Amino acid sequence: MADVKFSKVTKKFNENLILNGVDAEIRDHEFVVIVGPSGCGKTTLLRMLAGLEEITDGEIHIDNVLVNNMHPSKRQIAMVFQDYALYPHMTVEENMSFALRLRKAPKAEIKERVTEAANILQLTTLLKRMPKQLSGGQRQRVAIGRAIVRKPKVFLFDEPLSNLDAKLREEMRVEIAKLYQRLNATIIYVTHDQVEAMTLAGRIMVMNHGIIQQVGTPIEVYRKPVNLFVAGFIGSPTMNFIRGKLKVEGDKLYLKNDDISLYIPSFLLSKTAEHDGREVVVGVRPDDVLVGGAAREKCSEKLDGMLEVSELLGHRENLYIKVGDTRVLATVEAFFNQSPGSKVAVCFNYENMHVFDKATTQRING
Amino acid sequence: MEILYSVYEVLWFVFIVIAGIALIEGYFYYHFQFYDRRWFFPAALLGFPLAGAAGCFAMGLVTEPVRIFLWLLGSEGLIAPFFRHIVKGRSKLAYLLLAPAFIGLALLLVYPFVFEVYLSFSDLKLTTIMQWKNTGYLPFVGLRQYIDVFTTSPLSEVTFWALLGRTLWWTFINVFFHVAGGFTLALLLNNHIRFKGFYRTLLVIPWAMPQVVAVLAMRGEFHAQYGFINIMLGKLAAAYPFLAGLGLGPVQWLSNYPLTTCTLINIWLGIPFMMVVILGGLQSISSSYYDAADIDGASYLQKLRFITIPLIRPVMMPAVTLGTVWTFNNINVIYLVTGQSGGTERADILVSALYKAAFTYNRYSYSAAFAIVIFAILFFVSVFYLKSFDAAKEER
Repeated sequence: MADVKFSKVTKKFNENLILNGVDAEIRDHEFVVIVGPSGCGKTTLLRMLAGLEEITDGEIHIDNVLVNNMHPSKRQIAMVFQDYALYPHMTVEENMSFALRLRKAPKAEIKERVTEAANILQLTTLLKRMPKQLSGGQRQRVAIGRAIVRKPKVFLFDEPLSNLDAKLREEMRVEIAKLYQRLNATIIYVTHDQVEAMTLAGRIMVMNHGIIQQVGTPIEVYRKPVNLFVAGFIGSPTMNFIRGKLKVEGDKLYLKNDDISLYIPSFLLSKTAEHDGREVVVGVRPDDVLVGGAAREKCSEKLDGMLEVSELLGHRENLYIKVGDTRVLATVEAFFNQSPGSKVAVCFNYENMHVFDKATTQRING
Repeated sequence: MEILYSVYEVLWFVFIVIAGIALIEGYFYYHFQFYDRRWFFPAALLGFPLAGAAGCFAMGLVTEPVRIFLWLLGSEGLIAPFFRHIVKGRSKLAYLLLAPAFIGLALLLVYPFVFEVYLSFSDLKLTTIMQWKNTGYLPFVGLRQYIDVFTTSPLSEVTFWALLGRTLWWTFINVFFHVAGGFTLALLLNNHIRFKGFYRTLLVIPWAMPQVVAVLAMRGEFHAQYGFINIMLGKLAAAYPFLAGLGLGPVQWLSNYPLTTCTLINIWLGIPFMMVVILGGLQSISSSYYDAADIDGASYLQKLRFITIPLIRPVMMPAVTLGTVWTFNNINVIYLVTGQSGGTERADILVSALYKAAFTYNRYSYSAAFAIVIFAILFFVSVFYLKSFDAAKEER
């Protein structure tokens, strides 16, 4: 097993800048999920690590060895592709042993390793099948098996679950988590699905526009997003954003816009006077929006809203509330006993509120 | 005025075709629609034979209307019960829509084939053709024509077996180089190279040109004195004497090496088709297989062997089958290259010999039997190919 280091990695397709100086270190035995919207460069970064894309500038080290010009097969990595890339004319067994056969490994060893991987992934009964005779989940497992057989230093997963349906995706997510516990390998996993990122990762690397926005444990990224992008990308449903200007009235700080006048407590933003007149965006997760009775009990400062739509999810309920022209989403325990069109009181859980500078989009509260 | 007359002729032809289709459709419509009426049988048995016989007589097609009437009555006597008791008006629209195409095929394929089989069991040749024309009678000779095919020469000296061997060799060499050349060019074109579209267009030209033009142009290039091939060979030999020492020099292509010339020309003609087919196959292979193979550590040749070739097999098999049949049946090149220059027999393959047997030596029944033998050979080759193609498809 090994660590991976990206230093100022840049990628250009002609004049298009895809990756703009990525610096990151992935430690031994770590499960890192690279997450970001499509086109953010995450797959390109992974393919560069695998050696399938040229590196325009910068350096990539695997296990302290510079791999920039090393052939993919020499980098001791294994990759699981989004479309699995199982060779359609080979059986499961042949697919899994292909790399070893190319390397002319002894037959006994090949058999042993394939059997071992098949056992781990419950593929033993499928070894003689062709890929087209397998279901999506089974193909996915074969693709992972093909990676395991090679005993690589680093496993690369390129959106491995995005071709599966929702239920299977959940199952495979758990499988991959179990596999990680068992193999204890270095895994770099690319996805655009923040749920996969949150549930699987030891550390999350959030990317956008070819730049790493934030690296941290899932809980860090969730609790303390460093900028507006991360705040909006991580978490489901998406965080509410309220735009406005900070104003000092008396010695208290308020967020003001056309509809809302929201008190900002000093534990959120100290040095009240400094912030006077600053354009900011305040972020609140739907879970931290208190509505109705809860708002009346827990908050002193409330906003008046009007319930637009409520969506029942079962144990929770999504409430879309209009406060002036701003729409706020609140997720509350089912059942919320008010019908659309009625007036509701809204307030926010200040402890979990995020304040971002509108111009720089960076987080400004602690 | 001539142009008006041509237009009139074309329109008349179109009218005849439409009228024919309308008659056929009406005939079937009657059988589909009224099969359960009480007057179905009497009307059908009386009306159609009468109308048919009268029509044929009126158009001057037959001289004995009564005989034709009885013939038609007999066939209607079979057709009408078939529609009443078996078809029962089911799938009317489908069959009415199919009828014109079906009848066209019957006229263009089934009738000639049946007639050919009939010919192959009789003895029609230059000396009996007038007898056939005058009496309508041809002697039945059983399998004699078939025996002759295998025992006598269709031409003046080459035997059937020599022709067969030559044809198989010709087919193998041609298809081999078509595939090899097409595959190489397709691999080159599948790379990221500049002016790809331009190269592709250039390479497809021999295939896109009318074959007659392409073959005759190339035949000119094989001219002993003025063709570029001999000119180049001559210049090469002059510039590098050691090549001349090895025996390189201008050659009398058309008279001394007719089959080689035909083969070279046909290879040149056939490569583009294979190239286009294989290029299509190559472009349909997902690049992620190559990515996976790269990570698995496959070299260029290993990728070719383990990924590219197995994955283009499904598109290759039908192309190779077609190429084999086309090459086996390729009379154009042989005829155009050799047929005019005094008619050497040294380049003849089965089909060109067949053509000569029929239209130079005027042995019609013999050629009919010969054609059926060739058809049988090709039929088995195709069935074998398609079977193995199905097997290959099963594998995926």
